[in-house]
Amino acid sequence: MSFPSRKAAIVGVYTSEQARALQRTVWSLELECIKGALADAGLSHEDVDGLIPMSFQAPVTVHMQWAEQLGGRPISFLSIGSGAGSAAKAALAVASGMASVVVVFFANAGFRLGPQGSSGQPGAPRVADMNHMIHGTYMSPWYAMWTRRYLHQYKARPEHLAEYSVIARHHATLNPASVMGGRGEITVDDVLGSRMIADPLHLLECPLDNDGGYAFVVASEAVARDCRKKPIWILGGAEAIYTDFYQTITPDWIGNERQAVRTSADQAFGMAGVSRDDIDVAGLYDCYPITVARDLEEMGFCAVGEGADYIHEGHLRLGGKMPANTDGGLLSNSHNGNPSGMQVIEVARQLRGECGERQVPGAKIGCALSQGFAVHGLGATLIMAAN
Amino acid sequence: MSQPYLKPLPKKEPENAPLWEGLAQHEFRVPKCDQCGAWNWVPYPACRSCLSEDMTWTPLSGKGEVFTYTIVHRGLGAFHQEVPYVVALVRMEAPGGSRDVIVLGNIRNVAFEDLHIGMPVQMTFQDIEGEDVTLWDFAPAER
Repeated sequence: MSFPSRKAAIVGVYTSEQARALQRTVWSLELECIKGALADAGLSHEDVDGLIPMSFQAPVTVHMQWAEQLGGRPISFLSIGSGAGSAAKAALAVASGMASVVVVFFANAGFRLGPQGSSGQPGAPRVADMNHMIHGTYMSPWYAMWTRRYLHQYKARPEHLAEYSVIARHHATLNPASVMGGRGEITVDDVLGSRMIADPLHLLECPLDNDGGYAFVVASEAVARDCRKKPIWILGGAEAIYTDFYQTITPDWIGNERQAVRTSADQAFGMAGVSRDDIDVAGLYDCYPITVARDLEEMGFCAVGEGADYIHEGHLRLGGKMPANTDGGLLSNSHNGNPSGMQVIEVARQLRGECGERQVPGAKIGCALSQGFAVHGLGATLIMAAN
Repeated sequence: MSQPYLKPLPKKEPENAPLWEGLAQHEFRVPKCDQCGAWNWVPYPACRSCLSEDMTWTPLSGKGEVFTYTIVHRGLGAFHQEVPYVVALVRMEAPGGSRDVIVLGNIRNVAFEDLHIGMPVQMTFQDIEGEDVTLWDFAPAER
Protein backbone atom coordinates (compact mmCIF):
# COMPACT_ATOMS: atom_id res chain seq x y z
CA MET A 1 0.00 0.00 0.00
CA SER A 2 1.24 3.47 -0.73
CA PHE A 3 -0.07 7.01 -0.96
CA PRO A 4 -1.29 7.79 -4.50
CA SER A 5 1.41 10.36 -5.26
CA ARG A 6 0.70 12.52 -8.32
CA LYS A 7 -2.75 10.95 -8.75
CA ALA A 8 -4.50 14.07 -7.44
CA ALA A 9 -3.83 17.76 -7.80
CA ILE A 10 -4.79 21.14 -6.48
CA VAL A 11 -6.44 22.65 -9.54
CA GLY A 12 -8.13 25.77 -8.19
CA VAL A 13 -7.44 28.22 -5.37
CA TYR A 14 -9.17 31.37 -4.20
CA THR A 15 -8.90 33.84 -1.35
CA SER A 16 -11.51 36.53 -0.76
CA GLU A 17 -10.69 39.98 0.50
CA GLN A 18 -9.12 39.63 3.97
CA ALA A 19 -9.90 42.55 6.27
CA ARG A 20 -10.65 43.43 9.85
CA ALA A 21 -14.39 43.62 9.25
CA LEU A 22 -16.15 42.74 6.00
CA GLN A 23 -19.84 43.51 5.99
CA ARG A 24 -20.64 40.02 4.76
CA THR A 25 -22.25 36.78 5.91
CA VAL A 26 -20.24 33.62 6.35
CA TRP A 27 -22.35 31.86 3.72
CA SER A 28 -21.86 34.61 1.14
CA LEU A 29 -18.10 34.58 1.67
CA GLU A 30 -17.97 30.79 1.48
CA LEU A 31 -19.99 30.86 -1.73
CA GLU A 32 -17.71 33.51 -3.24
CA CYS A 33 -14.69 31.36 -2.39
CA ILE A 34 -16.17 28.14 -3.74
CA LYS A 35 -17.18 29.83 -6.99
CA GLY A 36 -13.82 31.56 -7.21
CA ALA A 37 -11.79 28.40 -6.72
CA LEU A 38 -13.91 26.50 -9.26
CA ALA A 39 -13.54 29.34 -11.78
CA ASP A 40 -9.78 29.34 -11.21
CA ALA A 41 -9.82 25.63 -12.10
CA GLY A 42 -12.16 26.07 -15.04
CA LEU A 43 -14.73 23.82 -13.36
CA SER A 44 -18.43 24.24 -12.56
CA HIS A 45 -20.31 23.65 -9.35
CA GLU A 46 -21.98 20.79 -11.21
CA ASP A 47 -18.61 19.01 -11.23
CA VAL A 48 -18.32 18.97 -7.43
CA ASP A 49 -18.83 15.62 -5.73
CA GLY A 50 -16.80 16.05 -2.56
CA LEU A 51 -17.02 18.65 0.21
CA ILE A 52 -14.76 19.49 3.13
CA PRO A 53 -16.19 22.48 5.00
CA MET A 54 -13.73 23.75 7.56
CA SER A 55 -16.31 25.45 9.74
CA PHE A 56 -15.73 25.07 13.47
CA GLN A 57 -18.85 22.94 13.78
CA ALA A 58 -19.19 20.67 10.77
CA PRO A 59 -21.55 17.77 11.43
CA VAL A 60 -22.97 16.08 8.35
CA THR A 61 -25.80 18.62 8.24
CA VAL A 62 -23.30 21.29 7.16
CA HIS A 63 -22.28 19.12 4.21
CA MET A 64 -25.96 18.51 3.40
CA GLN A 65 -26.78 22.22 3.33
CA TRP A 66 -23.89 22.86 0.97
CA ALA A 67 -24.90 19.89 -1.20
CA GLU A 68 -28.32 21.51 -1.52
CA GLN A 69 -26.86 24.98 -2.22
CA LEU A 70 -24.67 23.56 -4.98
CA GLY A 71 -27.63 22.08 -6.80
CA GLY A 72 -28.75 19.06 -4.83
CA ARG A 73 -26.61 16.53 -6.68
CA PRO A 74 -25.22 13.60 -4.67
CA ILE A 75 -22.00 14.40 -2.82
CA SER A 76 -20.09 11.15 -2.53
CA PHE A 77 -17.18 12.26 -0.35
CA LEU A 78 -17.45 14.32 2.82
CA SER A 79 -14.85 14.95 5.44
CA ILE A 80 -13.58 17.39 8.04
CA GLY A 81 -10.14 18.45 9.21
CA SER A 82 -7.38 21.00 8.75
CA GLY A 83 -6.35 22.59 5.46
CA ALA A 84 -3.34 20.39 4.73
CA GLY A 85 -5.07 17.30 6.11
CA SER A 86 -8.16 17.98 4.02
CA ALA A 87 -6.05 18.20 0.89
CA ALA A 88 -4.44 14.86 1.72
CA LYS A 89 -7.78 13.15 2.35
CA ALA A 90 -9.29 14.69 -0.77
CA ALA A 91 -6.34 13.30 -2.73
CA LEU A 92 -7.10 9.82 -1.42
CA ALA A 93 -10.76 10.22 -2.35
CA VAL A 94 -10.18 11.34 -5.90
CA ALA A 95 -7.37 8.85 -6.52
CA SER A 96 -9.62 6.00 -5.42
CA GLY A 97 -12.64 7.07 -7.45
CA MET A 98 -14.77 7.91 -4.44
CA ALA A 99 -15.04 11.42 -5.86
CA SER A 100 -13.43 13.43 -8.63
CA VAL A 101 -13.68 17.09 -7.57
CA VAL A 102 -13.44 18.01 -3.88
CA VAL A 103 -13.84 21.55 -2.58
CA VAL A 104 -12.23 22.57 0.72
CA PHE A 105 -13.51 25.89 2.03
CA PHE A 106 -13.79 28.22 5.01
CA ALA A 107 -14.89 31.76 5.78
CA ASN A 108 -15.23 34.00 8.79
CA ALA A 109 -17.42 37.07 9.10
CA GLY A 110 -17.50 38.81 12.43
CA PHE A 111 -16.24 36.08 14.76
CA ARG A 112 -13.25 37.17 16.83
CA LEU A 113 -10.93 34.71 18.54
CA GLY A 114 -9.24 37.23 20.79
CA PRO A 115 -10.54 39.36 23.66
CA GLN A 116 -13.08 42.03 22.75
CA GLY A 117 -13.60 43.83 26.05
CA SER A 118 -16.42 43.05 28.46
CA SER A 119 -18.91 40.30 27.66
CA GLY A 120 -21.67 42.82 28.32
CA GLN A 121 -23.62 40.17 30.21
CA PRO A 122 -25.16 41.05 33.57
CA GLY A 123 -23.84 37.90 35.27
CA ALA A 124 -21.04 35.41 34.99
CA PRO A 125 -21.27 33.34 31.79
CA ARG A 126 -21.21 29.59 32.42
CA VAL A 127 -18.76 27.57 30.38
CA ALA A 128 -17.60 23.94 30.29
CA ASP A 129 -15.94 22.84 33.53
CA MET A 130 -12.33 22.83 32.36
CA ASN A 131 -12.66 25.75 29.95
CA HIS A 132 -9.56 27.91 30.13
CA MET A 133 -11.64 31.09 30.01
CA ILE A 134 -12.41 30.55 33.72
CA HIS A 135 -8.78 31.55 34.30
CA GLY A 136 -8.84 34.46 31.86
CA THR A 137 -6.94 32.45 29.29
CA TYR A 138 -7.19 32.51 25.50
CA MET A 139 -4.82 31.73 22.65
CA SER A 140 -2.15 34.35 23.31
CA PRO A 141 -1.59 33.39 26.99
CA TRP A 142 -1.16 29.74 25.95
CA TYR A 143 1.38 30.56 23.28
CA ALA A 144 3.06 32.97 25.72
CA MET A 145 3.44 30.10 28.20
CA TRP A 146 4.81 27.89 25.42
CA THR A 147 7.25 30.64 24.42
CA ARG A 148 8.43 31.19 27.99
CA ARG A 149 8.99 27.48 28.55
CA TYR A 150 10.89 27.22 25.25
CA LEU A 151 13.11 30.21 26.03
CA HIS A 152 13.85 28.70 29.45
CA GLN A 153 14.46 25.15 28.30
CA TYR A 154 16.65 25.91 25.29
CA LYS A 155 18.18 29.25 26.34
CA ALA A 156 16.80 30.70 23.13
CA ARG A 157 16.78 34.47 22.59
CA PRO A 158 13.51 36.42 22.38
CA GLU A 159 14.96 38.66 19.66
CA HIS A 160 15.58 35.64 17.45
CA LEU A 161 11.92 34.65 17.70
CA ALA A 162 10.90 38.27 17.09
CA GLU A 163 12.81 38.18 13.83
CA TYR A 164 10.05 35.95 12.49
CA SER A 165 7.55 38.82 12.79
CA VAL A 166 9.95 41.01 10.79
CA ILE A 167 10.25 38.40 8.02
CA ALA A 168 6.47 37.88 7.86
CA ARG A 169 5.89 41.63 7.55
CA HIS A 170 8.53 41.92 4.84
CA HIS A 171 6.70 39.25 2.86
CA ALA A 172 3.37 41.00 3.42
CA THR A 173 4.75 44.21 1.93
CA LEU A 174 5.16 42.25 -1.30
CA ASN A 175 1.58 40.92 -1.16
CA PRO A 176 -0.96 43.59 -2.14
CA ALA A 177 -3.81 41.47 -0.72
CA SER A 178 -2.33 41.26 2.78
CA VAL A 179 -3.98 43.03 5.71
CA MET A 180 -0.75 44.53 7.08
CA GLY A 181 1.55 44.93 4.07
CA GLY A 182 0.51 48.54 3.55
CA ARG A 183 1.87 49.43 6.99
CA GLY A 184 5.40 48.79 5.74
CA GLU A 185 8.45 47.05 7.13
CA ILE A 186 9.08 46.58 10.85
CA THR A 187 12.23 45.93 12.87
CA VAL A 188 12.99 43.68 15.82
CA ASP A 189 12.93 46.81 17.99
CA ASP A 190 9.42 47.58 16.71
CA VAL A 191 8.31 44.05 17.61
CA LEU A 192 9.84 44.01 21.08
CA GLY A 193 8.72 47.60 21.66
CA SER A 194 5.10 46.98 20.74
CA ARG A 195 2.40 46.72 23.40
CA MET A 196 2.67 43.68 25.68
CA ILE A 197 -0.27 41.31 25.24
CA ALA A 198 0.74 38.28 27.29
CA ASP A 199 4.31 38.46 28.55
CA PRO A 200 6.63 37.61 26.75
CA LEU A 201 4.42 38.09 23.66
CA HIS A 202 4.03 41.59 22.23
CA LEU A 203 1.31 42.76 19.87
CA LEU A 204 3.49 42.26 16.78
CA GLU A 205 4.11 38.65 17.79
CA CYS A 206 0.38 37.89 17.89
CA PRO A 207 -1.77 36.93 14.91
CA LEU A 208 -4.33 39.06 13.15
CA ASP A 209 -7.98 38.34 13.94
CA ASN A 210 -9.89 39.24 10.80
CA ASP A 211 -12.66 38.35 8.39
CA GLY A 212 -12.15 36.57 5.11
CA GLY A 213 -12.43 33.23 3.38
CA TYR A 214 -10.70 30.83 1.08
CA ALA A 215 -11.28 27.68 -0.94
CA PHE A 216 -9.27 25.23 -2.94
CA VAL A 217 -10.19 22.39 -5.27
CA VAL A 218 -8.58 18.95 -5.35
CA ALA A 219 -9.27 16.91 -8.48
CA SER A 220 -8.40 13.53 -9.90
CA GLU A 221 -5.55 13.18 -12.40
CA ALA A 222 -8.02 12.86 -15.29
CA VAL A 223 -9.88 16.03 -14.33
CA ALA A 224 -6.68 17.89 -13.49
CA ARG A 225 -5.18 17.36 -16.95
CA ASP A 226 -8.07 19.34 -18.47
CA CYS A 227 -8.17 22.18 -15.98
CA ARG A 228 -7.49 25.79 -16.84
CA LYS A 229 -4.21 26.11 -14.97
CA LYS A 230 -1.17 23.98 -14.27
CA PRO A 231 -2.08 21.29 -11.75
CA ILE A 232 -0.15 21.27 -8.48
CA TRP A 233 0.37 17.59 -7.77
CA ILE A 234 -0.05 16.17 -4.29
CA LEU A 235 2.91 13.93 -3.46
CA GLY A 236 1.98 13.01 0.10
CA GLY A 237 0.01 14.21 3.05
CA ALA A 238 -1.00 13.17 6.54
CA GLU A 239 -2.85 14.52 9.56
CA ALA A 240 -2.66 13.67 13.26
CA ILE A 241 -4.19 14.81 16.52
CA TYR A 242 -3.25 13.91 20.04
CA THR A 243 -4.89 16.17 22.58
CA ASP A 244 -8.00 18.12 23.39
CA PHE A 245 -8.59 21.80 23.41
CA TYR A 246 -6.47 23.99 25.72
CA GLN A 247 -7.12 22.54 29.19
CA THR A 248 -3.87 21.07 30.41
CA ILE A 249 -0.66 19.77 28.90
CA THR A 250 1.10 16.46 29.08
CA PRO A 251 4.39 16.34 31.00
CA ASP A 252 7.55 17.48 29.25
CA TRP A 253 5.51 19.73 26.99
CA ILE A 254 8.14 20.45 24.38
CA GLY A 255 9.39 16.89 24.42
CA ASN A 256 5.89 15.52 24.10
CA GLU A 257 3.57 17.73 22.08
CA ARG A 258 5.73 16.79 19.14
CA GLN A 259 3.44 13.88 18.56
CA ALA A 260 0.94 15.31 16.08
CA VAL A 261 3.17 17.52 13.95
CA ARG A 262 6.13 15.14 13.85
CA THR A 263 3.91 12.17 13.06
CA SER A 264 2.21 13.92 10.17
CA ALA A 265 5.47 15.30 8.78
CA ASP A 266 7.31 11.99 8.93
CA GLN A 267 4.39 10.25 7.25
CA ALA A 268 3.96 12.88 4.55
CA PHE A 269 7.66 13.09 3.64
CA GLY A 270 7.84 9.30 3.59
CA MET A 271 4.85 9.07 1.26
CA ALA A 272 6.17 11.78 -1.02
CA GLY A 273 9.65 10.31 -1.28
CA VAL A 274 11.28 13.72 -0.95
CA SER A 275 13.71 14.97 1.66
CA ARG A 276 13.52 18.11 3.77
CA ASP A 277 16.27 19.63 1.64
CA ASP A 278 14.08 19.27 -1.46
CA ILE A 279 11.55 21.84 -0.21
CA ASP A 280 11.79 25.09 -2.21
CA VAL A 281 8.98 26.95 -0.44
CA ALA A 282 6.96 26.30 2.71
CA GLY A 283 3.73 27.35 4.35
CA LEU A 284 4.26 26.82 8.07
CA TYR A 285 1.41 27.53 10.47
CA ASP A 286 2.63 30.68 12.21
CA CYS A 287 0.09 32.00 14.69
CA TYR A 288 3.04 33.13 16.85
CA PRO A 289 6.82 33.07 16.24
CA ILE A 290 7.16 30.15 18.69
CA THR A 291 4.81 28.12 16.50
CA VAL A 292 7.14 28.51 13.52
CA ALA A 293 10.19 27.59 15.60
CA ARG A 294 8.47 24.46 16.87
CA ASP A 295 7.04 23.64 13.39
CA LEU A 296 10.58 23.66 11.99
CA GLU A 297 11.84 21.41 14.76
CA GLU A 298 9.03 18.89 14.70
CA MET A 299 8.97 18.72 10.90
CA GLY A 300 12.65 17.86 10.92
CA PHE A 301 14.08 21.00 9.32
CA CYS A 302 16.27 21.45 12.41
CA ALA A 303 16.80 19.81 15.79
CA VAL A 304 14.57 20.44 18.81
CA GLY A 305 15.76 23.65 20.43
CA GLU A 306 17.24 25.07 17.22
CA GLY A 307 14.10 26.60 15.68
CA ALA A 308 14.83 30.12 16.90
CA ASP A 309 18.35 29.90 15.47
CA TYR A 310 16.93 28.70 12.16
CA ILE A 311 14.73 31.79 12.04
CA HIS A 312 17.66 34.04 13.01
CA GLU A 313 19.82 32.56 10.24
CA GLY A 314 17.33 33.95 7.72
CA HIS A 315 16.42 30.73 5.95
CA LEU A 316 12.70 31.58 5.89
CA ARG A 317 13.08 34.97 4.23
CA LEU A 318 12.60 35.35 0.48
CA GLY A 319 16.04 34.63 -0.90
CA GLY A 320 16.79 32.21 1.95
CA LYS A 321 17.13 28.47 1.54
CA MET A 322 13.45 27.75 2.31
CA PRO A 323 11.26 30.86 2.08
CA ALA A 324 8.14 30.40 4.20
CA ASN A 325 4.80 32.15 4.49
CA THR A 326 5.55 34.36 1.53
CA ASP A 327 2.05 35.89 1.72
CA GLY A 328 2.86 37.39 5.14
CA GLY A 329 1.37 34.50 7.09
CA LEU A 330 -0.96 34.76 10.05
CA LEU A 331 0.88 37.71 11.58
CA SER A 332 0.81 40.04 8.57
CA ASN A 333 -1.36 38.56 5.80
CA SER A 334 -4.51 37.14 7.42
CA HIS A 335 -5.71 35.10 10.36
CA ASN A 336 -9.34 34.56 9.48
CA GLY A 337 -10.26 32.28 12.35
CA ASN A 338 -9.42 28.90 10.84
CA PRO A 339 -6.66 29.77 8.39
CA SER A 340 -5.07 26.33 7.97
CA GLY A 341 -5.93 26.26 4.26
CA MET A 342 -4.13 29.54 3.61
CA GLN A 343 -0.68 27.91 3.72
CA VAL A 344 -1.77 25.30 1.16
CA ILE A 345 -3.06 28.02 -1.17
CA GLU A 346 0.02 30.23 -0.96
CA VAL A 347 2.36 27.30 -1.62
CA ALA A 348 0.20 26.22 -4.57
CA ARG A 349 0.39 29.76 -5.97
CA GLN A 350 4.18 29.73 -5.56
CA LEU A 351 4.45 26.42 -7.39
CA ARG A 352 2.31 27.84 -10.18
CA GLY A 353 4.60 30.85 -10.39
CA GLU A 354 1.78 33.34 -9.75
CA CYS A 355 3.30 35.29 -6.85
CA GLY A 356 4.68 38.33 -8.62
CA GLU A 357 7.11 40.33 -6.48
CA ARG A 358 7.16 37.65 -3.81
CA GLN A 359 7.73 34.75 -6.19
CA VAL A 360 10.36 32.20 -5.19
CA PRO A 361 12.24 31.71 -8.48
CA GLY A 362 11.91 28.22 -9.89
CA ALA A 363 9.95 26.77 -6.96
CA LYS A 364 9.17 23.14 -7.78
CA ILE A 365 8.41 21.38 -4.48
CA GLY A 366 6.61 22.84 -1.50
CA CYS A 367 5.09 21.82 1.78
CA ALA A 368 2.31 23.17 3.97
CA LEU A 369 1.82 22.59 7.68
CA SER A 370 -1.48 23.03 9.49
CA GLN A 371 -1.63 23.00 13.27
CA GLY A 372 -4.03 24.08 15.96
CA PHE A 373 -6.91 23.41 18.36
CA ALA A 374 -4.30 23.10 21.14
CA VAL A 375 -0.60 23.89 21.08
CA HIS A 376 0.52 21.51 18.31
CA GLY A 377 -2.48 19.37 19.26
CA LEU A 378 -3.31 18.87 15.61
CA GLY A 379 -0.73 18.62 12.87
CA ALA A 380 -1.08 18.04 9.16
CA THR A 381 1.59 18.11 6.48
CA LEU A 382 1.10 18.29 2.72
CA ILE A 383 3.83 17.92 0.09
CA MET A 384 3.13 19.38 -3.36
CA ALA A 385 5.00 19.61 -6.64
CA ALA A 386 4.74 21.78 -9.74
CA ASN A 387 5.29 18.89 -12.14
CA MET B 1 -22.21 44.63 48.78
CA SER B 2 -19.37 43.82 46.45
CA GLN B 3 -19.55 43.85 42.70
CA PRO B 4 -21.17 40.80 41.08
CA TYR B 5 -18.74 38.22 39.69
CA LEU B 6 -18.75 38.63 35.89
CA LYS B 7 -15.94 36.34 34.80
CA PRO B 8 -16.73 32.92 33.30
CA LEU B 9 -17.71 30.18 35.75
CA PRO B 10 -17.96 26.42 35.26
CA LYS B 11 -21.28 24.71 34.59
CA LYS B 12 -20.34 22.12 37.23
CA GLU B 13 -21.14 19.13 35.06
CA PRO B 14 -22.55 16.18 37.03
CA GLU B 15 -19.70 13.83 36.14
CA ASN B 16 -17.29 16.26 37.81
CA ALA B 17 -19.37 16.67 40.98
CA PRO B 18 -16.60 15.24 43.23
CA LEU B 19 -14.25 17.96 42.01
CA TRP B 20 -16.66 20.79 42.75
CA GLU B 21 -17.75 19.27 46.09
CA GLY B 22 -14.10 18.94 47.05
CA LEU B 23 -13.35 22.53 46.08
CA ALA B 24 -16.24 23.71 48.27
CA GLN B 25 -14.34 22.04 51.13
CA HIS B 26 -11.10 23.65 49.91
CA GLU B 27 -9.69 20.39 48.67
CA PHE B 28 -8.50 19.66 45.09
CA ARG B 29 -9.42 16.15 44.02
CA VAL B 30 -8.02 14.43 40.95
CA PRO B 31 -9.15 11.05 39.56
CA LYS B 32 -6.53 8.37 40.29
CA CYS B 33 -6.92 5.01 38.58
CA ASP B 34 -7.66 2.11 40.91
CA GLN B 35 -6.25 -0.35 38.37
CA CYS B 36 -2.99 1.16 37.18
CA GLY B 37 -2.49 4.06 39.59
CA ALA B 38 -2.26 6.77 36.92
CA TRP B 39 -3.38 10.29 37.76
CA ASN B 40 -5.90 11.68 35.29
CA TRP B 41 -6.04 15.46 35.07
CA VAL B 42 -8.15 16.83 33.43
CA PRO B 43 -10.90 14.35 34.33
CA TYR B 44 -12.09 11.90 31.69
CA PRO B 45 -14.71 9.17 32.13
CA ALA B 46 -12.04 6.46 31.98
CA CYS B 47 -8.34 6.24 32.78
CA ARG B 48 -6.25 7.41 29.80
CA SER B 49 -3.60 4.79 30.52
CA CYS B 50 -5.65 1.59 30.93
CA LEU B 51 -9.25 2.67 30.17
CA SER B 52 -10.50 1.48 33.54
CA GLU B 53 -13.59 3.32 34.74
CA ASP B 54 -12.63 2.59 38.34
CA MET B 55 -11.01 5.75 39.56
CA THR B 56 -10.98 7.46 42.94
CA TRP B 57 -11.16 11.23 43.31
CA THR B 58 -8.01 11.68 45.40
CA PRO B 59 -7.10 14.92 47.22
CA LEU B 60 -3.77 16.57 46.42
CA SER B 61 -1.62 18.44 48.94
CA GLY B 62 -2.02 21.60 46.88
CA LYS B 63 1.74 22.06 46.64
CA GLY B 64 3.22 22.58 43.23
CA GLU B 65 5.82 24.36 41.16
CA VAL B 66 5.44 26.67 38.21
CA PHE B 67 6.08 24.86 34.90
CA THR B 68 5.55 28.04 32.88
CA TYR B 69 3.56 31.26 33.19
CA THR B 70 2.52 34.48 31.50
CA ILE B 71 1.51 37.92 32.71
CA VAL B 72 -1.60 38.88 30.75
CA HIS B 73 -1.96 42.54 29.78
CA ARG B 74 -4.91 42.18 27.42
CA GLY B 75 -7.63 40.51 29.44
CA LEU B 76 -10.48 38.31 28.33
CA GLY B 77 -13.96 39.78 28.95
CA ALA B 78 -14.43 40.85 32.57
CA PHE B 79 -10.82 39.79 33.26
CA HIS B 80 -9.75 42.95 31.47
CA GLN B 81 -10.65 44.91 34.60
CA GLU B 82 -7.87 43.03 36.43
CA VAL B 83 -4.89 43.37 34.11
CA PRO B 84 -2.12 42.58 34.50
CA TYR B 85 -2.83 39.11 35.89
CA VAL B 86 -0.84 35.90 35.97
CA VAL B 87 -1.80 32.64 34.25
CA ALA B 88 0.37 29.60 34.96
CA LEU B 89 0.69 25.91 34.36
CA VAL B 90 1.60 24.33 37.70
CA ARG B 91 3.06 20.85 38.12
CA MET B 92 1.36 19.56 41.26
CA GLU B 93 2.74 17.30 43.96
CA ALA B 94 0.96 14.06 42.99
CA PRO B 95 2.90 11.07 44.28
CA GLY B 96 2.69 7.50 43.14
CA GLY B 97 1.10 7.93 39.73
CA SER B 98 2.41 7.49 36.24
CA ARG B 99 1.12 10.76 34.80
CA ASP B 100 1.96 14.26 35.98
CA VAL B 101 -0.82 16.55 37.14
CA ILE B 102 -0.34 19.94 35.49
CA VAL B 103 -3.05 22.43 36.40
CA LEU B 104 -3.92 25.73 34.72
CA GLY B 105 -4.75 28.60 37.03
CA ASN B 106 -4.06 32.15 38.14
CA ILE B 107 -1.31 33.03 40.59
CA ARG B 108 -2.54 35.75 42.93
CA ASN B 109 -0.76 37.90 45.49
CA VAL B 110 2.57 37.53 43.77
CA ALA B 111 5.17 40.17 43.01
CA PHE B 112 5.86 39.85 39.29
CA GLU B 113 9.61 40.12 39.83
CA ASP B 114 9.45 36.99 42.00
CA LEU B 115 7.80 34.87 39.29
CA HIS B 116 10.01 32.19 37.80
CA ILE B 117 9.85 28.71 36.32
CA GLY B 118 10.22 26.27 39.20
CA MET B 119 8.73 28.70 41.73
CA PRO B 120 6.97 26.82 44.56
CA VAL B 121 3.29 27.67 44.83
CA GLN B 122 0.37 26.55 46.95
CA MET B 123 -3.16 26.08 45.70
CA THR B 124 -5.68 28.49 47.23
CA PHE B 125 -9.46 28.54 47.06
CA GLN B 126 -11.87 31.29 46.15
CA ASP B 127 -15.52 30.96 47.24
CA ILE B 128 -17.40 33.01 44.66
CA GLU B 129 -19.80 35.32 46.48
CA GLY B 130 -23.40 34.90 45.36
CA GLU B 131 -22.58 31.81 43.28
CA ASP B 132 -22.46 28.10 44.04
CA VAL B 133 -18.86 27.73 42.95
CA THR B 134 -15.45 27.55 44.56
CA LEU B 135 -12.54 28.06 42.17
CA TRP B 136 -8.87 27.23 42.61
CA ASP B 137 -5.99 29.66 42.31
CA PHE B 138 -2.34 29.64 43.33
CA ALA B 139 -0.24 31.79 45.62
CA PRO B 140 3.49 31.81 46.32
CA ALA B 141 4.31 29.04 48.83
CA GLU B 142 5.94 29.77 52.16
CA ARG B 143 9.42 28.29 52.13
